[in-house]
Amino acid sequence: MTTTLSPRRTTPEAETEARVRQSLAERLAPYAYIAPFFLIFGIFGLVPLLFTFYVALFDWNPIGEHVFIGLDNFSRLLGDPRFWNAAWNTISMWLLSTVPQLLAALVLAHLLNHARLRLATLWRMSMLVPYITSVAATTIVFAQMFDRDYGLLNWLLGLVGVGPINFQQSVWGSHIMIATMVTWRWFGYTTLLYLASLQAIPRTIYEAAAVDGAGAWKQFRHISIPSLRPVIIFTIVTSTIGGLQIFTEPMLASHTTPLTCGPIRQCQTLTLFLYEQGFGQFQFGYGAAIGVALFVLIIVIATLNYLLSARIRPER
Amino acid sequence: MKKADRVRWWTYLILALATLACVFPLYWMFVVATTDTATATQLPPEIVPGGNFFHLAGLVFSTVPFVRSIINSLVVAGTIGVGQAVLCSLAGFAFAKLRFPGRNVLFLVVVLTMTVPTQLAVIPQYMIISQLGWVDTLQALIVPGLASAFGIFWMRQHLATTLSDEILQAARIDGATSWQIFWRIAFPLVRPAAFVLGLLGFVFAWNDFLWPFIVLKSPEMYTAQIAIKALQNSRSIDLGLAMSGSFLATLPLLVLFVFVGRRMVVGIMDGAFKG
Amino acid sequence: MSPVSFRRATPAVLAAAIVLTAAACGGGGGTSQQSGDGKSFEFWSFTGINQKKTVEAYKKIHPDVQVKLTEVGSTAETAQALTTALAGGKVPDLVLIQGDDLPKFLQQPQNFQDLRQYGADKMKGDYLDWVISQSVARSGEIIGIPTDVGGMAVAYRTDLFKAAGLPTDREEVSKLWPTWDAFIETGKKYTAATGKAFIDNAATSVFLQAVNQGPEKYYDQNGNVIYRTSPQVRTAFDLGLKAIQAGISAKQSSFSEGWSAGMGKGDFAVISAPSWLLGQIQDNAPGTKGKWDIATIPGGAGNWGGSYLAIPKRAANPKAAWEYISKMQSPQGQLDHFLEAGSLPTTPSVYQDSKLLSQKDPFFSDAPIGKIYTESLLGLKPYVIGPDDPAIGSEFLAAITNVEQGKGDPAKAWDAAMANIKTAIGK
Repeated sequence: MTTTLSPRRTTPEAETEARVRQSLAERLAPYAYIAPFFLIFGIFGLVPLLFTFYVALFDWNPIGEHVFIGLDNFSRLLGDPRFWNAAWNTISMWLLSTVPQLLAALVLAHLLNHARLRLATLWRMSMLVPYITSVAATTIVFAQMFDRDYGLLNWLLGLVGVGPINFQQSVWGSHIMIATMVTWRWFGYTTLLYLASLQAIPRTIYEAAAVDGAGAWKQFRHISIPSLRPVIIFTIVTSTIGGLQIFTEPMLASHTTPLTCGPIRQCQTLTLFLYEQGFGQFQFGYGAAIGVALFVLIIVIATLNYLLSARIRPER
Repeated sequence: MKKADRVRWWTYLILALATLACVFPLYWMFVVATTDTATATQLPPEIVPGGNFFHLAGLVFSTVPFVRSIINSLVVAGTIGVGQAVLCSLAGFAFAKLRFPGRNVLFLVVVLTMTVPTQLAVIPQYMIISQLGWVDTLQALIVPGLASAFGIFWMRQHLATTLSDEILQAARIDGATSWQIFWRIAFPLVRPAAFVLGLLGFVFAWNDFLWPFIVLKSPEMYTAQIAIKALQNSRSIDLGLAMSGSFLATLPLLVLFVFVGRRMVVGIMDGAFKG
Repeated sequence: MSPVSFRRATPAVLAAAIVLTAAACGGGGGTSQQSGDGKSFEFWSFTGINQKKTVEAYKKIHPDVQVKLTEVGSTAETAQALTTALAGGKVPDLVLIQGDDLPKFLQQPQNFQDLRQYGADKMKGDYLDWVISQSVARSGEIIGIPTDVGGMAVAYRTDLFKAAGLPTDREEVSKLWPTWDAFIETGKKYTAATGKAFIDNAATSVFLQAVNQGPEKYYDQNGNVIYRTSPQVRTAFDLGLKAIQAGISAKQSSFSEGWSAGMGKGDFAVISAPSWLLGQIQDNAPGTKGKWDIATIPGGAGNWGGSYLAIPKRAANPKAAWEYISKMQSPQGQLDHFLEAGSLPTTPSVYQDSKLLSQKDPFFSDAPIGKIYTESLLGLKPYVIGPDDPAIGSEFLAAITNVEQGKGDPAKAWDAAMANIKTAIGK
């Protein structure tokens, strides 16, 4: 390899050739490399999203007529108690699944961060097991474990004298059930993300703090957490986006009323409501309006989350 | 290392509990898959596997085209895994190391797309797929899955930190084109990270439910997830059958996990947070 | 091509290769819609109704015909799949639609072949009027041919009745409850004697059956929505609440895990059972063979369920599909299917057939199911099924289930149902 910045062969033809090489093909190369993403996302992500905004303005029967009705779907939505119910369910389940998950992940990551921990790989791998299991399968398993009469959980509760809880049929119970499923699935993955960041913190900082008399909790609060700030923000934002769209678990958990997740829609999330209206009730337009509302909700909450969590400042 | 050298005993206790929580549902699934519904609903609960595995497994295979669904899942998840590994590396390389007008803006757009919840737009997505004539096909699952903003972000991070500008410049002086640099230098360097990305993409695609549920209609096109759901469909639920199917559908991933699990862990942790 | 542009083209080629491979994999695997009317056809059914047997029987008669039967999922899922297919995907040639899902499709008859062109109006008279009228569109097109109905009876556990000091002979048991009030009273006696629940749930076993007994259900004969004011509906609703308050319900929602499990464990002694439910009882509780019997439903007549075969407009092989319908859904065809699989015919001409009348089921103590169920149909006073029937019905059911599960206040249940229905259908 040449070690000096020697100019290229300076014959006129070579220079032209170099210019050509530098110009069109090479200049377009980067665009070609990123094109697949934009093309695919454009067609399957952006266009549908824009189209959702469009369909929401219609009374759109998938096998019938499409009638333009302007913003009627939205005014109907705002007055629809089922919408607010679904919105409330969605937010509740999101909080119930995100907060414990991130907290558990923080604690576990901290525990796993010990250099002398035995069987480290075992702990780490087992935490990923929920992540690789199929959602459909685990929902059935969990639904059975939460069953009122024959479920494992109620049996355990019975051992300590707590009466059988009808998880499926109560609002809070069904939320807890679904939040448990979601938390179980994701907490291992989140733990590993936090662990990675923790491991990037030099030991010397901890040692210095220990010398200064700081106990475990102080170290955790003043060293670990601030350094984890970027990854915590990342996980908060991604679990917001994911958590507000929960669909599979509510739908599969309720065998008898899959689309409404219970007789009083106790665990119907907005995405499930969207699906119910669009594919169950043949009202694509109304379903699209729900989609728009959900999109707005996600953007608002994710942005708020980002702004709030960006306030975790490193402490001195 | 933290302040004390010793690991406290309760650390192990908590970790053991966490591991138990992670593994138990899978184990219980196996127990029911080897017994039957009556045993599954008995109290105190049965936690020892029975001998009914083959009977139930046989029933699974005869109720839904299960082998076919596993193959479908393999095709979809495999193509997406490989596709993402390559395409995201390519795009990540472009964003990390190539200079072109609009680079920063375009990258910002990529990052922003991560906030767009595309799951919502299923209705129009379905319409587009219809227009393309792709309803009830595997490409309807594969093609949209190839665009991963997260993957591009991830590969860009890795490339930015592992491919030095000096090597890049030297290669340029030697007259290498972008493609050559990518294929001969950059990609080999980040192959481990790309592999992990591919794995993550594979797992995600394997477990995807909503979109395949909407798009696939004939049983021989089902992916493993939809096949499991189909087992649940008769008016009375046969838990033994449902669990058997669930277990069989998870098995390929478990096997994969045994082989590459450690790499996945390392890869996830090696993640994009060094930059 | 110069080496440079070739190299630049490679990533695009790579991307294209991936897409094309995917397309090749995917395209080949899916079923291609045959052009032209061949002898074969694609048939979508739902699970649990055993169309397999009928298809096999058909194959014996026409061995040259290929029938591709797909059991898509539950009745609702099959309807959803049909909707998505009609909206712009591949449609099957023949599809089975359950009665509850039919109204929405009936409102858009342009999606289906008008079966009159194949001679359906001549066949019309073979079927019970109130059954065939459900598949005739307002503008007169016949879009579906009925395959079966449910009828209605009560399946009860003879051993549990005996233990509670109740009669076990089916005639005697039928005399115990000529009315729903008497039914609830019997229930109270049972629960007092055994401490266990009498019925599986009030929502389905009481309300859903009682509300179907009379001509003025959710719509009147002119098609107006009358659910608010119809005495039939209100009475049925109150009966449901009464059953709950009598403490005789096991509170297991129909088709739930607890319900399936409870059958075998004797959690309840009685289920309102249409003919198609009998098979499920056998599947869920195989150990209880011979311990069940069948009595008449309070009110004497009733029906739950029923399905129709329809041919989508864009079907590639409508004639082949029609052949199947006309052959297998003729009175003889339905009779044969009944004898094979227990699905109740909709063709009254066979109701007096000796084979039907003498058909017995050993699981249910040799009850003459043909006789019992067809009799339950004969006294039926048909009601009009309107487009929003399913939505209205499910809200009522939800309101009662809510009370039953202890989460709703019975005094407010009716008003809650009214509000929810209004929200759902706007009327």
